[in-house]
Amino acid sequence: MPIQDNVNGALLISAIDFVLSFVIIGGIGVLLALFPLLNRLGKVDDETLKKSH
Amino acid sequence: MFAQFVGLLNVLKDQTGLAQLTGGNVVMMAVGAAMIYLALAKKYEPFLLIGIGFACIVANVPGSGLTQPGGLFHYAYQGVALLIVPPLIFLGVGAMTDFGPMIASPWLVILGAAAHLGIFVALIGAKLLGFTLPEAGAIGIIGGADGPMAIFVTMKLAPHLLPQISVAAYSYMALMPLIQPPVMKLLTTKKERDIIMDKPRQVTRLEKIAFPIIIAIVVNLFFPPIAPLITMLMLGNLFRECLLVDRLAKTAANEIMNVITIVLTVAIGSTMNAEQFLTLKTLEIVALGLVAFIFGTASGVVAAKIMNVVSGGKVNPLVGSAGIASVPIAARVSHMVGIRENPQVYLIMHAMGPNLAGVFGTAISGGILLALLGVK
Repeated sequence: MPIQDNVNGALLISAIDFVLSFVIIGGIGVLLALFPLLNRLGKVDDETLKKSH
Repeated sequence: MFAQFVGLLNVLKDQTGLAQLTGGNVVMMAVGAAMIYLALAKKYEPFLLIGIGFACIVANVPGSGLTQPGGLFHYAYQGVALLIVPPLIFLGVGAMTDFGPMIASPWLVILGAAAHLGIFVALIGAKLLGFTLPEAGAIGIIGGADGPMAIFVTMKLAPHLLPQISVAAYSYMALMPLIQPPVMKLLTTKKERDIIMDKPRQVTRLEKIAFPIIIAIVVNLFFPPIAPLITMLMLGNLFRECLLVDRLAKTAANEIMNVITIVLTVAIGSTMNAEQFLTLKTLEIVALGLVAFIFGTASGVVAAKIMNVVSGGKVNPLVGSAGIASVPIAARVSHMVGIRENPQVYLIMHAMGPNLAGVFGTAISGGILLALLGVK
């Protein structure tokens, strides 16, 4: 259903966008909270990386 | 003989721009000159305002062909219109940005969404003022305080409003140190502003390398409308974080960024002709932009206050305003307000997390807006 081009449409689109933004950013936050688990895969050393090129 | 002389002079005059010069052109030339003055005398975003101001002056000289098809400024604008310039800016931004603070404090990223209430207040306000819904959406994005994203969304939704929206977005970003502190102080207590936050954890190289790859996959998968921008942001960041292609990272962050800044500023300035810019709509957009920045700052601070209560007093609410994006200006404002209150309150690293999340917040809001309005 297309959103109507009136104030109700603006309110609706704003409400959906604001709530969804929270959900998606929250999802990114959860993803980032899992990032420390990546360190179980091993360690990447800065000096080794710099020397290798 | 005399009549013939006058006639020839008139022919010559008609071939110059003088015959077409209007009062509006003169006003806009003064606006361009004022921008250059602000850049030079007040140091307000000189990298942007000098180019915009100069191109604005040239665009209002009727004889100039620079902004017409065949002119260089016209082709600079095509770079914006074809959405080539905004993703290249994001490439440079990615190469300059350390996303470590955002990875280190994942719970603070929610402020990147909270500080975008201003987008929707401006959107609804614009609709009430009679703008169409796509125009209102483009105006609302000013509240995201992200120049390239504002340009990107505007070009998709309401390209005819590009000069007003880009000028409002970049002007308010430059004025954030003046706009945000009063709102931040109004909504917080002295005790809250004195909160010293725990030091964030150290983020490893592996996490920093994984971040752009994972985010690029997620964004392309779930948000195709804004994927060009975030993908380029992440590519620039990968250049930076992998430490192997230092030359590419430096080129993206310096040479490309500088060239693109020149192209972008003359493109924006060249659209500021009197006919298009000197309207009531311009004043309304500028006013709505200010409203968006104030509400965005306020909602970010209020969300941070809630987080402070939930966390048992561990979050300084001043970091909330940084969620409005505009990296790193908003984070610097949080830091400066904090340090003025108490010299031991160092908020810069804490504020960078929400600030970087704000870039994603604006992109996500813009992407959802484009999707809801059926724009691809």
